Amino acid sequence: MSAFRTHAARRGIDWAIILVVGVLAIGMLLPFLWLFSMSFRPVSQAYQLPPSFLPPSLDPANYQAVLASRIPFLRIYANSLLIAGLVTIGQLVTCTLAAFAFARLRFRGRDTLFFILLVGLMFPAQVTILPIYLGYARVGLTNQPIGLALMYLTSSFGVFLMRQFMLSQPKALEEAALMDGAGYFKIFRRISLPQLRPALSALGIITFTQTWNYYFQARILLGREESMTLPVAMDVLRGYLGSGNLSLVMAAMSMSVLPVVLLFLFAQKFVIEGITMSGIKN
Amino acid sequence: MTAAPLQKRRPSDLERAQARAGYLFVLPTSVLYLTFVLAPVTLTVILSFSFYDPMLGSRWVGLENYTRFFSDPRSLQIFWNTLRFTFFAVTFNVSVGLLLAVALNRAMPAWLLYFFRLAFFLPVMIAIAFAAIVWSYFFADDLGVVNYYLRLFGLPGVRWLTDSSVAMTSIIIMDVWKNTGFFMIIFIAALQGVPKSLMEAAAMDGTPAWRRFFRITLPYISPVVFFAIVYASIGALQVYESIVILTQGGPGDATRSLSILIVEQGFGSFQIGYAAAISVVMTLVILAITALQQFLSRKWVHQ
Repeated sequence: MSAFRTHAARRGIDWAIILVVGVLAIGMLLPFLWLFSMSFRPVSQAYQLPPSFLPPSLDPANYQAVLASRIPFLRIYANSLLIAGLVTIGQLVTCTLAAFAFARLRFRGRDTLFFILLVGLMFPAQVTILPIYLGYARVGLTNQPIGLALMYLTSSFGVFLMRQFMLSQPKALEEAALMDGAGYFKIFRRISLPQLRPALSALGIITFTQTWNYYFQARILLGREESMTLPVAMDVLRGYLGSGNLSLVMAAMSMSVLPVVLLFLFAQKFVIEGITMSGIKN
Repeated sequence: MTAAPLQKRRPSDLERAQARAGYLFVLPTSVLYLTFVLAPVTLTVILSFSFYDPMLGSRWVGLENYTRFFSDPRSLQIFWNTLRFTFFAVTFNVSVGLLLAVALNRAMPAWLLYFFRLAFFLPVMIAIAFAAIVWSYFFADDLGVVNYYLRLFGLPGVRWLTDSSVAMTSIIIMDVWKNTGFFMIIFIAALQGVPKSLMEAAAMDGTPAWRRFFRITLPYISPVVFFAIVYASIGALQVYESIVILTQGGPGDATRSLSILIVEQGFGSFQIGYAAAISVVMTLVILAITALQQFLSRKWVHQ
């Protein structure tokens, strides 16, 4: 009897806690709801209080106005896509190759090299940006979206994450292939890569999101409007469109967060796995 | 490893092939890492000891840039702002994340867990710049969303971004909204690694829940807590766009951070050497925190 009561009480406490966290969770989402609902509000009512968290209509007027404005929004969007796309593909290739070597092959200096690579996790962009900017200015890579992409074609984090995944995989198949006389590249491509599909998704999504969101580096290297990426442009847009056009800024923002939100809605599992993997097993 | 059984037959050939493959596989990463990380870091350190001017020529100035940084009250104020921001942002991000993880570490329907992860992790996914623009309207004085609700409940509005004693708190609030979900996620995973049998045994013995948390759970997940603190610190020390967008470093210098100072000095006033010295100081703080973590975790974790 008493055991039953304590069990029931514990379920009660569980649900009370879940309820509290649920209210908090809705609070966490309010800025998103506000942003989205603002983007559909007529400009004349943008500052009207009380604030709205649900769109009054689904009239795309503000979205059309952003595309028709004198800011090259589509060009900026394309820059963001280009940079994030190149960096994602680049890292998937370079990090996986390096991770295979660190996890599966034996060569002199391997552990030293891996350690030096890991030290890179501690260098902020602030301590590399000055020489990179000066060098880019000399070779004409400032104000070139490709310049920002070049900087991030590999990453210590990516190598580390892929190596962790590889170490957690059995290597019996690879050994068997080696016995059969397969070359290392063939083993990598035919046996290791297919096993790594979830890890590749995780790294791909994390890298894409991170690159899509860069601000510090982008602001320094890509100052000219037609070379900008979305996060930097959004701040500029706010100034151009003026404080009266809050709704337009929010329409531009809705479009800017869309890829990342979609990625997360459909691939939550991979993101969470990637994050956990890097956080727990270091 | 893989080569062991074959080694007896053809030792050197196979080893050499393996080594050759190894070097080839790490080549792209090594070249890029050298070009975009190691070389620039080295150059920044060299720049930090010099006065750099592409027109007038550069010269070696020894520690001058560093003494300037550590003797100028303004830069010290900015250094202090950054450390203060880091301390509070890290404390709240990690502790709120842990609290949420403990709250969510119980049986619930799958859709509910999906919703919670979505709600708390979505802010982590979007650009700080986007978040800060939205929050700048939340924090506005008269037409701000937060002040509207404060006034609705008969409370006075707060000058979130224009009062120099409040502005930093506002930036920390936004930062916790933005980042705490990340720590929640890694703590949820860590909590699932705590052996259930141990917790149940302690519960049977009548150990109260809070003591079980401090005696069993916390020591068990302490490596992850250490990782979280270091990771959060490295991020917080670089704080930039949330401040640029919310307060531009103001009022006065009340919220100005090291990153803002680096950009201002390096790209605004072309004090390249000085900016380099500031970024080296920032990096040394990061290295010190990481070293401290290594030291402490070796001492305390898994006693």
